[in-house]
Amino acid sequence: MDRALARRLDARFEGVLHGPAKQRHDQTEVRIGAGDVQQVLTALHDEPELNFTMLADLAGVDTGTEMQVVYHLWSSSTSDWLRVIVEGLSRDDPRIPSVTYLWPGAEWMERETYDMFGITFEGNRDLRRIYMPPDYTSFPLRKDFYLPDDAARSPGAGVRHVERTHSPVDAAPGVLRRTGA
Amino acid sequence: MATQTPPRPAKPAGAATPEGTHRSEDDPNVLLQDDYAFYEPIPPYPPRTEREAEFYTLGDGEMFLNMGPQHPSTHGVLRVVLKLDGERVVDIDPVLGYLHRGVEKLVENADYHQTISQVDPLEYISSLFCEWAPVTAYEKLLDVEVPRRAEYIRVLSGELNRIASHALFLGWFALDLGGLTPILWSFIERDEIVEMLAALTGQRMLFNYFRIGGVNGDLNHEFMSRLGDWMSRAVGQLEAGMGLLNENEIFVRRASGLGIVDSETALRFCMTGANLRATGVPFDVRRAHPYSIYPEIEFDIPTRTEGDSLARYLVRMEEVKQSLRIIDQCLEQMPDGPIMAKLPRLLRPRPGRAWAAVEGPRGMYGAYAISDGTDQPFRLKIHDPSFIHLQAVGALLPGNLLADTMAIMASLDPIMGGVDK
Amino acid sequence: MTDRPAHDPTAEQRAAEPMASDQSGNAPAALVVPGSTAVTEPIVLRNELWAPADPNAYEGGRPAEITHLAEFAATEAGRRDDARWSGILEVIPTKADYVLDLLRANSLWPLLSGLACCAIEMMSFATSKNDIDRWGAFPFRASPRQADVLIVAGTLTTKMAGPLLRLWEQMPEPKWCVAMGDCTCSGGRYKRSYSTVEGIDRIMPVDVYVPGCPPRPEGLIFGMMKLQQLVKDRRGHWPERAIGPTVPAGV
Repeated sequence: MDRALARRLDARFEGVLHGPAKQRHDQTEVRIGAGDVQQVLTALHDEPELNFTMLADLAGVDTGTEMQVVYHLWSSSTSDWLRVIVEGLSRDDPRIPSVTYLWPGAEWMERETYDMFGITFEGNRDLRRIYMPPDYTSFPLRKDFYLPDDAARSPGAGVRHVERTHSPVDAAPGVLRRTGA
Repeated sequence: MATQTPPRPAKPAGAATPEGTHRSEDDPNVLLQDDYAFYEPIPPYPPRTEREAEFYTLGDGEMFLNMGPQHPSTHGVLRVVLKLDGERVVDIDPVLGYLHRGVEKLVENADYHQTISQVDPLEYISSLFCEWAPVTAYEKLLDVEVPRRAEYIRVLSGELNRIASHALFLGWFALDLGGLTPILWSFIERDEIVEMLAALTGQRMLFNYFRIGGVNGDLNHEFMSRLGDWMSRAVGQLEAGMGLLNENEIFVRRASGLGIVDSETALRFCMTGANLRATGVPFDVRRAHPYSIYPEIEFDIPTRTEGDSLARYLVRMEEVKQSLRIIDQCLEQMPDGPIMAKLPRLLRPRPGRAWAAVEGPRGMYGAYAISDGTDQPFRLKIHDPSFIHLQAVGALLPGNLLADTMAIMASLDPIMGGVDK
Repeated sequence: MTDRPAHDPTAEQRAAEPMASDQSGNAPAALVVPGSTAVTEPIVLRNELWAPADPNAYEGGRPAEITHLAEFAATEAGRRDDARWSGILEVIPTKADYVLDLLRANSLWPLLSGLACCAIEMMSFATSKNDIDRWGAFPFRASPRQADVLIVAGTLTTKMAGPLLRLWEQMPEPKWCVAMGDCTCSGGRYKRSYSTVEGIDRIMPVDVYVPGCPPRPEGLIFGMMKLQQLVKDRRGHWPERAIGPTVPAGV
């Protein structure tokens, strides 16, 4: 629970952050735009009083309206995890500078994010698909990619779609099995 | 001969190939199906990225060797395209995805509770850690306080799982270096631990034991008796297994100096866990960013500075000893109380984001959970250490001999279930 | 689409039946007929990886246009079976055949094809505590050319389906296939996923299904003992190979 970290980040990156840094549990969160990624992350990595030398995770998020890339960083100078959310990437052509110049280990994480979301990391020398076959055309983790059983219906409504077993071949069509909630 | 098959006309070399086929480059008299070319080591399309172009151009005297998705090493389905200069590896291109099951998408379409069973088979031999990270992230979203007894049981079962996983690491590492006995001994050890955990959780492998807010079942007589029985023999068995290898000149000479990583490279490659500690950086999530009840437990973090495969192996064996110490303390300090927090059946956390990381046997296992206020998780991103370490193999392998390829990979201890999610 | 007779393909019947629905010019057959108990039309995969340009190469070779191995088995070349003592004796099982089956059953050498979590239980089934060496199956061969049984242990994804099928095709006959674990039987807990194959019987014939997630090593031992029984009774899929889903399309 390091509340001072949020204040330090607010002071250091004034003007770049989209709003004040938030702190909850053991995580501090800042939001920036795609153009500031290199500046902010290089500063977080290189400056000795910040010293966020360890990139814990690089995740892509599709909020439905926009795309985001989320970095989790760790530093020996603070007891909190730092979450850097890069927001505002468009859903049609999301582009963001790559951080492989700082952490070569981010290359595969960016490949995975590209494979699942279609976010292009400019500067990544190897941006090709990593999980899906090379001729796959969709980006599976996008919100407009539906699983075959027509996902995103709440099981709490009484019809548990994720558990629905298929009705026998000779049953009348349209039979819906309601399991106990 | 009365054949029902249509006659096949002869095709001289150079003539047009029938639809859907093409001529093989090695032998123009051989026709290959077009879609089969997909599995050739050299991709049949032009290189799409800079790195692909760099890798797939052969220098003088170099060749490609495809270690296909099925190979005798036991990591799982990993395809590695090696660029070899004689016996030396010049470069590698790992191809993943042969076990990609779409866990993150399935989790988005299910309940919070169903996450646990979906996420289990990721690092299948250390299942409890795969459950621990998302469960902790959800508990942060729900602001739930886990009862102390449940935390102690989590640590106890987690450390047992860590010992089982390291025992398997020992077996596989020795197997990839050519030794056939240690893997049999490791599986004996693992079978005992896993029967113990089956008495506790009901399953030998994909335990499905942790719940959001606690654990599923309390300690029972069978578990405690098996545990006590095993603990009395555990150190002896470990010493025997290590004794087979540590004093074996072939093993030591092959493993030392193999795949050396220095600490700066390891941090740049985002390595965590025993691989990082073997290079000199004493980063252990249990001490660097304590979670659960680890602040109350005494244990050391074994660290070495050489950074080679032997150091990684020795660090993991030391960790097993520390895990035994932790199990001892858990048993002594185990409090009474409930094992599950009081939570509603249908979980609807507040909209928000939470990150949780635990120290798994392979490294830092993380989960980033986003909730949008409904009863289905909005996003769960799993951070898997095996994925990161496999990347580093590309930096470690060049210059080594072909036979050391699998040895280096085994020393980094990847599990393809976690790599491919 | 008429009801296909289940297990009695004589040469004339094969010649009279229309070709499979993946051949051009044939309308796709109705896959599910309500009220019928017939097995649906299999989706036949072409099993040719390559063909010699010279039709007389490789000793006159197999005809390159094999679409269904059972059709091939009806031809002259298909009836030559080097694994048995003689073509005529195959009709009457003799003591020699029985001994051969006993030999095969007691030394089924599996192929190392552990894909995921079930592979760990398969390894556990091969090592000391549940020792499969008692049944002669300890040598897990790395090369498909030397293996008898393909124990598919672990989730099959669409990316891995091709290589796995190539492994199956490279295995010389007699060969059997064991689907170990829920993911290979039916897709298991990943049935709804976008990248898994819902059960390996969609791409290869399976002789024994071992359910469980993962099945205990004792469960796999039981599956292998069942397989040994199949081998001795000659009830496996090996005599007639039809590749395709054994599940109707509506399910």
